[in-house]
Amino acid sequence: MAAYPGMSMGEAHRRITEYLNRFSDAVSNQDAASLRFLLSLSSNSPFLLSLADALNIFQDSGRLIKHSDHYSQYSDILFNLFRSLQTYRLGNLFDSYQAFEKSANAFIQEFRNWESAWALEALYALAYEIRVLAERADRDLASNGKSPEKLKAAGSFLMKVFGVLAGKGPKRVGALYVTCQLFKVYFKLGTVHLCRSVIRSIETARIFDFEEFPKRDKVTYMYYTGRLEVFNENFPAADNKLSYALTHCNPRREANIRMILKYLIPVKLSIGILPKDWLLEKYNLVEYRDVVQALRRGDLRLLRRALQEHEDRFLRSGVFLVLEKLELQVYQRLVKKIYIIQKQKDPTKAHQVKLEVIVKALKWLEMDMDVDEVECIMSILIYKNLVKGYFAHKSKVVVLSKQDPFPKLNGKPVNS
Amino acid sequence: MEKSHRHHPNHSSSSSSSSTHFRSQKFRSNPTTKDGKFTKNNNPNAREDFVKPRRPSQQAQQHVDDSSNLPVLLGTCPFMCPVAERVQRERLRDLAVFERLDGNPRKTSSDLAVKKFCRTISIRDMPTSDLRPLPVLEDTLDYLLSFLDSSEHPFEVVHDFIFDRTRSIRQDLSMQNIDNEKAIYMYEKMVRFHVMSLHKLRSCTNENISSVHYLNMEQLTKALTTLFNLYDANRSSESINENEGESLSLWFRQVPIPIIKSKEMCFARRILRFFRMGNYKRFLLTTAAEASFLQYCIIEPYIIEVRELALSCINNGGYKLHPYPLTHLSKLLMMKESDLVSFCSACGLEMVTDEVGNKSLPTKQTTFCSPKGGSQSYGFLNLEPFER
Repeated sequence: MAAYPGMSMGEAHRRITEYLNRFSDAVSNQDAASLRFLLSLSSNSPFLLSLADALNIFQDSGRLIKHSDHYSQYSDILFNLFRSLQTYRLGNLFDSYQAFEKSANAFIQEFRNWESAWALEALYALAYEIRVLAERADRDLASNGKSPEKLKAAGSFLMKVFGVLAGKGPKRVGALYVTCQLFKVYFKLGTVHLCRSVIRSIETARIFDFEEFPKRDKVTYMYYTGRLEVFNENFPAADNKLSYALTHCNPRREANIRMILKYLIPVKLSIGILPKDWLLEKYNLVEYRDVVQALRRGDLRLLRRALQEHEDRFLRSGVFLVLEKLELQVYQRLVKKIYIIQKQKDPTKAHQVKLEVIVKALKWLEMDMDVDEVECIMSILIYKNLVKGYFAHKSKVVVLSKQDPFPKLNGKPVNS
Repeated sequence: MEKSHRHHPNHSSSSSSSSTHFRSQKFRSNPTTKDGKFTKNNNPNAREDFVKPRRPSQQAQQHVDDSSNLPVLLGTCPFMCPVAERVQRERLRDLAVFERLDGNPRKTSSDLAVKKFCRTISIRDMPTSDLRPLPVLEDTLDYLLSFLDSSEHPFEVVHDFIFDRTRSIRQDLSMQNIDNEKAIYMYEKMVRFHVMSLHKLRSCTNENISSVHYLNMEQLTKALTTLFNLYDANRSSESINENEGESLSLWFRQVPIPIIKSKEMCFARRILRFFRMGNYKRFLLTTAAEASFLQYCIIEPYIIEVRELALSCINNGGYKLHPYPLTHLSKLLMMKESDLVSFCSACGLEMVTDEVGNKSLPTKQTTFCSPKGGSQSYGFLNLEPFER
């Protein structure tokens, strides 16, 4: 990372002073947008990068900060911010994070004193940067064989920020954004159980009214909490939250819609609702195509194959077990198809399905099951109300109810 | 049924892949069959005494640990029990049966006394002369586990002793921050002990047994958690995950691919699939055919649950005029006919007998209920190693 070629001391001095002035102007004018720009290290804006070069050349920014009353009052914020920027530029992410955290801490102190919520956008930038810098610092640590710890520290810092916003004043609408940053931290660390306490604060504290939060944050929140419900297989709750996220998501944010659908589709499948092919095509979720097809056809072999083909992907995203469980619905469909065919041949006898016939159908699908196992599956389907009827052991036959023998799920998951 | 518990089948530690039915109770740690559980075989640096510098705490020197500001200790006690404790317990007559010299409750020796678990001591108060270094801990553990071979005392007594003394071993390991492969072997042995106890405690009859069982489960969970963290720390992965989630899906996300594809995991996942589907036939058949003794110990409570489900389904969906023949049912549920009769009755179901003496189970009985005090398992038909 070579310093900006040909920058003179004078030029460096000028750039630093320019930044300082912009900073203090932003604060005195309550210009959150400008302040936000000035804090966004990881944006790699040319302005900040050349500032970083300037700092590395000038080396005594502390003196400059103390130079004027306009910005000396923010010396803790600025000094550490500069240090963070310098080390960032030199590729030292660990030091960059440490310095940024110090700067952010100082910023929070100031933020507390500002009565109105004018600086929220800038605070958001801070929260975002903390997380992103921590992630990069951890990557560096790990690649040097050391124990990654900065993202965890970022989580603690964000909890502190949350605490600052969790009050009665207008700043409280910022709490959801910080919550979402925390979700991202916890999901990345795998410490997803830590989401619980912050969810509880958002959903039960009287100071928060969910409707007051910005829409974008509500969508993100529902996406993450919806995913948690998927992990825990609470399908009605997962459906609610992920559908909310989908409905309120900006339709032009296709990447986000895809992420929501990635989790919503398995949920919908579990409650008997199948997506249309064009949806899967449009959002490039073709890994679900065979699963959906298997459900439509009652094709057990196809389901198993699809699960095997995309096993790694499904395991990583946490939907594998959900999809595996669709097997029962596939069996239901298969038996229903047999029933429909029989009905066409002889409607009076259609409701009696020989177990041997099911065995044969499964054999065609290269599934090797004997009569006992088929009887077992049928008894489960009946038990879980996917099939109405009974099985006669001696005659090895399933007798289907004359009315609605294959009840639809109707938006409810299969009985456990 | 779907929610994961800590003791679900996935946590089976890898037993030797060559035999599925164990007669011997000694389970040797067999690192080569760990199919990718940790990258010992792939890592060129995995010499026996190599400790990866992932944590500030190493065995070599005492220095300040960044994150907790506590000194890292290196134990120097050469005995299984620190001398001071041994002398004190002699005086107080606080000696376990296995520690008594010639049966004398007031006399022990350095060959017999084993350090007790101390709940209230903190790392600051533990002098290094009371901490046992790794080699001593290894020998102590092997010594303790050798008691599993003897049948001189009832199992509860043996279990109690090993339970407490291995807890102390874990305490010593953690206070010295020992997290290398040797620690892993030791934890695996301890986990196996707790898993086997799951099974053996079932046939113990003393009245406290359910709390003993509960405590055993608690320690199994703790030891397993530590073991997983040790696996993580010894693998060169990017982050050390503290996964305390309740969700199985979440846990699967973080298990490395080679492990997910290992023979043991595939077995566990298959069993899990049958369980979640309610496919009682395959669940029981596969367990009987493929589970090692250790895996059986873990799966046992689910066998009971699945058999109950099977009865429930048959009772619910079977044709009223076709009572289910006992012989067939016993094959299906893999139970001896006599056991099946008691099991049905424990579930509130009656059997009928025909003129020739054949028993069968009428369906659509309304008296079906979950068996109370349900920890009676019934073993597996024709598979003696599982019936102890």
